[in-house]
Amino acid sequence: MTQIDVKQKVLAANMEAAAALRAGFAASRTLVVNLISSPGSGKTTFLERTVADLKGRLRLGGIEGDIATERDADRLRRHGIPARQILTGGSCHLDARQVRQALDDEDGALSALDILFIENVGNLICPTNYDLGEDFKVVLLSVTEGDDKPFKYPAIFSKAALAVLTKVDLLPHVDFDLPAVRDQIRTLNPEGRLLETSAKTGAGMESWYELLSSALAKKRA
Amino acid sequence: MHETGIAAEIYAISRRAADAHGGGRLDSVKVVVGELSAIEPDLLAFAWEAITSGGPDAGSRLDVEWRPARQTCAGCGEVAERAAGTWLRLCPRCGGALRIEGGDELDVRDVTFEEAGERHP
Repeated sequence: MTQIDVKQKVLAANMEAAAALRAGFAASRTLVVNLISSPGSGKTTFLERTVADLKGRLRLGGIEGDIATERDADRLRRHGIPARQILTGGSCHLDARQVRQALDDEDGALSALDILFIENVGNLICPTNYDLGEDFKVVLLSVTEGDDKPFKYPAIFSKAALAVLTKVDLLPHVDFDLPAVRDQIRTLNPEGRLLETSAKTGAGMESWYELLSSALAKKRA
Repeated sequence: MHETGIAAEIYAISRRAADAHGGGRLDSVKVVVGELSAIEPDLLAFAWEAITSGGPDAGSRLDVEWRPARQTCAGCGEVAERAAGTWLRLCPRCGGALRIEGGDELDVRDVTFEEAGERHP
């Protein structure tokens, strides 16, 4: 019997592909945001509102990860921006290789942008591990999902630079302990930001746009 | 559940490492899994069994070394003790803010395999 030390990251292959993507995004000076949440948190609606409000002043594009259907990419294309759907066929997350393929398939349409939004497959667990070459991860949580989620899914809440609460216009109608959620997020990620938003009323969206602008300016400094 | 994909990566890395040393059948593989790696050790072991069954490495073991994340205090340096799965809001000694360190490990540590031609019992 022989034992050898390996000491290798399990996801080394993905990390390598992600590093190549990151180098490409640095060269094209594109800000890349990886959005992660459970299904139904309002990711696509949040993005639609963002695109509607920003498309006049920024070149935007989207990559949409789903198990099935072209629906989400269609929703973004209706706003007049390039979007590519990745169908994972049952897989619960996007990986860097799929993002590379999507960029190649779009033949440059997603390569000369100010901001590329990658909407991951709806899932709070699996996408956490897979670096997609993004500048930062955003985790979204809707107020209808329950106020215990950050501590139930500590991995993503500790890694996302920004947590976005969505559907805050529904707060009067649901039992959602907002201070407790703020507290959980702060505990898991003391340096992270938290925004409280409604894509419907527009509440909090300006802060999100300011955050994007300043991240983009920083990337291009 | 993405443990199957993770187990497949671990298997590919392990097999490659054994092959590079002229190795035969895998005996055991040790992985380090952190509390914030979003991996469930039981599911990972189950996925390993599913992936290796019926092949040359059937019956090999995946040993998981679990690494908790640590909460440390920026003020007094205390590494706060806590029960698994719970998180402390503030430092129990000085009331300062806590930082989370580590816990995101997901590494293949070492691989044990039979010499080529070695007969397993």
